[in-house]
Amino acid sequence: MAAQAPAPPSPPGEPTSSDGVPLIYRRGFRRLMQQGIYVGITALVAWYVYDSLDLREFGFGFLDDPAAFKVGNQWLTDIDGVTNNRFTMYLVGVWASLRVVFVAILLSTLVGVLVGVSRLSSNWLVARLAMLYVEIFRNTPLLVQVVLVYAIFLVGAPIIQEVVNIGDFAFISNRGLAIPWPVPDGGLWGVPNWFVGVWVALLIAIGAVAMTVRRTRQHRERETGQPQFANRWALGIFAVGALVTFIILGLPVSIDRPYVEGTRYLEGMVIRPEFAALTIGLTLYTGAFNAEIVRGSIQALPTGQSEAANAIGLSGYQRLTLVILPQALRQMIPSITNQYLNVNKNSSLAYAVLYDDLFRVAGIIQNKAGHALEMFFVIIVTYMLISLVISALMNFINARVTRVGV
Amino acid sequence: MSEQPPIPRPEQRPLPPAPGAGPRRIVLPPHRQRARRPRSVRVREWVRKNLFASTGGTLLTLIAGGIMAAIVVGVIIFIFFGANWEVITHNRWLLFAGGFPHEEAWRLWVSIAVVFTLIGAAYGTWSSFGRRDHLFVLLVGGFVIFLMAHGGAAIWSTLYFLIAIGCMYLGYAVTVWVPRETSTLRTLQQRLVGGLVGISLPLVLIILLVGGEVGPRHLDGFVLNLILAPVGIVGGIVIGIPLALGRASRLRSISLTCTAYIEIVRGAPLLGWLFVALFILDDVIGGDLIIRAMVVMAVFTGAYMAEYIRGALQALPRGQFEAAQAVGLTEIQRTRLIIMPQALRISIPPMVGQAISIWKDTTLVTVILPLRELKGNADSAIAQFEFTPDRIEAYVFVAVIFWIVAFAMSRISQRVERAQGVGER
Repeated sequence: MAAQAPAPPSPPGEPTSSDGVPLIYRRGFRRLMQQGIYVGITALVAWYVYDSLDLREFGFGFLDDPAAFKVGNQWLTDIDGVTNNRFTMYLVGVWASLRVVFVAILLSTLVGVLVGVSRLSSNWLVARLAMLYVEIFRNTPLLVQVVLVYAIFLVGAPIIQEVVNIGDFAFISNRGLAIPWPVPDGGLWGVPNWFVGVWVALLIAIGAVAMTVRRTRQHRERETGQPQFANRWALGIFAVGALVTFIILGLPVSIDRPYVEGTRYLEGMVIRPEFAALTIGLTLYTGAFNAEIVRGSIQALPTGQSEAANAIGLSGYQRLTLVILPQALRQMIPSITNQYLNVNKNSSLAYAVLYDDLFRVAGIIQNKAGHALEMFFVIIVTYMLISLVISALMNFINARVTRVGV
Repeated sequence: MSEQPPIPRPEQRPLPPAPGAGPRRIVLPPHRQRARRPRSVRVREWVRKNLFASTGGTLLTLIAGGIMAAIVVGVIIFIFFGANWEVITHNRWLLFAGGFPHEEAWRLWVSIAVVFTLIGAAYGTWSSFGRRDHLFVLLVGGFVIFLMAHGGAAIWSTLYFLIAIGCMYLGYAVTVWVPRETSTLRTLQQRLVGGLVGISLPLVLIILLVGGEVGPRHLDGFVLNLILAPVGIVGGIVIGIPLALGRASRLRSISLTCTAYIEIVRGAPLLGWLFVALFILDDVIGGDLIIRAMVVMAVFTGAYMAEYIRGALQALPRGQFEAAQAVGLTEIQRTRLIIMPQALRISIPPMVGQAISIWKDTTLVTVILPLRELKGNADSAIAQFEFTPDRIEAYVFVAVIFWIVAFAMSRISQRVERAQGVGER
């Protein structure tokens, strides 16, 4: 069967047309036929789907119409639905999702590392407690966890008329937790609000300077062997710089203390029960999975690493932070990334506690305007974009930690 | 010659211990053996070593012990004194089967008996009940009977449930009792039980839905979870296998479309796809909303299963493909006889993880679809005027039910892994 034909040269193993093999036994022809049949069937299915959808009014123009609905749970934004179009409201929802995803990723990582390390603790009770946590939260639906936390807030927290007042500083009720929050202010010299932006820009510049100093000092320490206290220098420069610029700019930030008026919180920052329930639910659920990932990555390390750390006299904490976790990190990043992507997708459960994330706002728009197909396109593209950003960031971190440096 | 020390011949050197043999126990000579210390000493030593090893360790133990005690006391107080479980006992049927007609309830009990028998038979064929399994059955059975005995005892339901558990042990006893000395008999039994397990899902669907006054729209409450999850899992595997093979295919058009399918499905959350089931699939496949939800569950799970199977395909040694080619198997034979059995065995652990995930995700149909599974019916229960303050009780109950099944799934999967030798060889 092997091709013996001379020119023209063909890929090895591919019979050419010039030997006596019937057409249907030739590999190239068979592949072509297989693909042809496959593409034909796929095209038929696609055509059927296309044909059965109602596409007469397909288009994204409806997103430009006035929204005429309210979106709650806004933070740093105060966008009303009367003058703004639907797409703006959708972006408000995206911003709400991003907040939840960001906080949940941070907290769940913390919980995961803490619990994952505890599961391997030599202390029997601690290991058992960690195992109990993992077994409970991994095996119950996230939806139930979220609504349960929400129910605990609604049932357990006092109504706003009986608000718990913590020294006029923070307030707790079933409308949420109100805490003081910094806001832009004219300060000593009545500067406009955008001076906060100037200060933030200055902070970034000072941070860059501090990082440079840190790197030079680290370098010098490596060269000379003399301790140079790189981290302390960097922190000191940043703190002094931040304080000095803050004073020079005339203290353009003041702390806004919340207060209760009637049945509402005013000023300060309010952490709503919907946001808290969703974030806590996501944190507990994902934290359990992260803990298992952390545990697996640590167990995958050779025991020699632990023993060597003990042999050179590191304390338990040093052994963990200097030897075990940095190495386990390389192994855990791919799985942890997967969990972060799940957090992104699971944040759509906001729907169940009426937190206005992107999915719920999209649902509201669909309810008002129809166009389910277009809205679904918008939703899936948004989720994919956020996933892409998360993957890109994690790939960047992965590249940093897997680069073996001395 | 005789004075010379014997030269050790190579084959007489002690072999290194086999990798799987574990640490060899060192037997001390009699004069160095110590008497086994009394139990109290051993306990004291264990406690000192595992709980009070150092100052920090003691502190940690005290903190953890405090948390543990607080949790235990809190849970006990909540369960026995704080909570009002009437919201559950009063709504037993609503939570269990919701709108499933009472006069057709025998279909549920027969299905449960069939499934329990098959579980018993599967255990008897491939594994065996241990003390922990009996304990688990006892605890769960006791929990269910406790529920049925409260707030107007459901005598007949209790009896049916007991019969179902009896069926499980009957199936177990029969399969254990059947002689399995010869490999032919054993293979026959495995084929028979395997086949029965294979057709159990359609069988249960037939028992539940064919004839009489019942249709898919009557699947409700916990029954809906119990149907949706297996449909999603089985459908997912059925869709996932060709997708995985397609993605690994050399034919560009096939691998491209399969990759596109997998990535697009995995790109959106399940809620998004249920949104599609509600608003878009109506035009495409029509049918009952429950059927559409099932299709979406299967399509969604298929993409994830495909990725696990693809991972297993890539983990297979290249020699397996080459050996299959060398003995002259066709491409289909190679896939069916050599590649797929091994790939499926490797992918059991992640697929079970996905199955548990789907089991938990069946709650999502409540969120945007007008379908009421267990969590949805718990919402209905607390919407009743007298039970509005009992939200926490209702959701705790739902969580416990889901936990029991998910936990059982993870334990059974460990058995399957051991029986299939995953991770060995």
